[in-house]
Amino acid sequence: MKQAKTIFQQGNHSWTIIARDPSKFGYIIDTNEYLITSGNDTLLTDPGGSEIFPAVFSAICTVIDPLGIKALFASHQDPDIISSLGLWLDFNPKLRCYTSRLWTGFIPHFGGDDKTLIGIPDEGMTLSLGELSVEVVPAHYLHSSGNMQLYDPVAKILFSGDVGAALMPDDQNEMYVSNFDRHIEFARGFHQRWMGSAEAKLDWCERVAALDIDMMCPQHGAIYQGADVMRFINWFAELPIGLQTFKKK
Amino acid sequence: MKKHQKNAAEDLLDIVHLNEGIKQVVVIAFHINLMALNAILLANRAGKIALGFGVISKELRVLAVELTQLMHALKAEAHDSVNCITVLLRQERRRLLLTAAQSQVTNHTSALAGVIESHAAYRDEQVVRIKHLRNELLGKLMDARRICQFGIAISRSAKIEAAYGGSFSQQLKEVSTDFDQNIHAILPALDVLCNTLEDNQ
Repeated sequence: MKQAKTIFQQGNHSWTIIARDPSKFGYIIDTNEYLITSGNDTLLTDPGGSEIFPAVFSAICTVIDPLGIKALFASHQDPDIISSLGLWLDFNPKLRCYTSRLWTGFIPHFGGDDKTLIGIPDEGMTLSLGELSVEVVPAHYLHSSGNMQLYDPVAKILFSGDVGAALMPDDQNEMYVSNFDRHIEFARGFHQRWMGSAEAKLDWCERVAALDIDMMCPQHGAIYQGADVMRFINWFAELPIGLQTFKKK
Repeated sequence: MKKHQKNAAEDLLDIVHLNEGIKQVVVIAFHINLMALNAILLANRAGKIALGFGVISKELRVLAVELTQLMHALKAEAHDSVNCITVLLRQERRRLLLTAAQSQVTNHTSALAGVIESHAAYRDEQVVRIKHLRNELLGKLMDARRICQFGIAISRSAKIEAAYGGSFSQQLKEVSTDFDQNIHAILPALDVLCNTLEDNQ
């Protein structure tokens, strides 16, 4: 089963990570899900694929009543992000899923209908969750053409989706980045191949560098804290990505 | 694979085989139709001496059209069956994942109980519906088989009539042999399909 661990708590406002399932099959990419709670309302980010639904759901049940989840947030359209949507809707048909307007016609292939999916405009928006306002930060073309992240200005946490993701070996299961130089090597190949636009990358780096971030939480791998957040942004800005990294044959 | 999924997957495979069989029969029926049309023209040319052959050819043409229509109806029902089976497979997969989640939950243990229950009820309904559709398919295949058996009898009569065809006898004989071969080619295909559907009842 996955572990549920609170990474931020201030009164009734909290962030919980659902991660690290030792019994997960090796052929399925490891994912992190985050619960953002404000009062009685919870938002679940990138709920994950249908195959890992049992592990995610049971881990969530250890920390909150799953009926407290009022909305889902899908950073983009990939199966490891949102293919469990049908199962979540079986459990609670009232759930709504926020995602880029680009994917509102695609994601229903995983479940749901036109009422389920709420399209986020390209420029982002503000999401209300209990007494909390969370900013939807556009990160288009990193890697998806309709890609969104979440920024909680109170907790100073950025949920960065695939940006900052690392494909860590099985024996590396730390929740937080402890050694940036070592960790970033697990992120290098992923970013070079999955991130296709240098222009989008630099635009994102500029915008995110202006935010006050204590923690950057990716959907794969470990959480960047403190100075490692800016370290990552600088590293990413310098990194050759996409077609630049392909060897000419 | 769990029992219901396994059964549904087998059902799906049967429908795939059925669709392939339908294609074969439609092609043969098309040939019979074309042959019958040529035979009618040939009988007209032969005149009085081939009147009986002409009547039989018309019968065979009607038979080919009936068979084609029946195959189209089968195709539509097979399509409905595929829809039902795929819905069942998807629902069953979801039910199993929900059940797996339920078995791992320690708090809020009743959270998924109602959902799993309704999934199981829906699955049972779908299983009954699929069984009903299978019976419908089998019924139509039996009808097709009867049409073919009638066709075999007619083609036999065509051979007899050809023998009385005078100077056209040889041509009529060739046509009636073609009829016979084509109609005989359909039966084994139908038998296999009937057996497949009967075996998995």
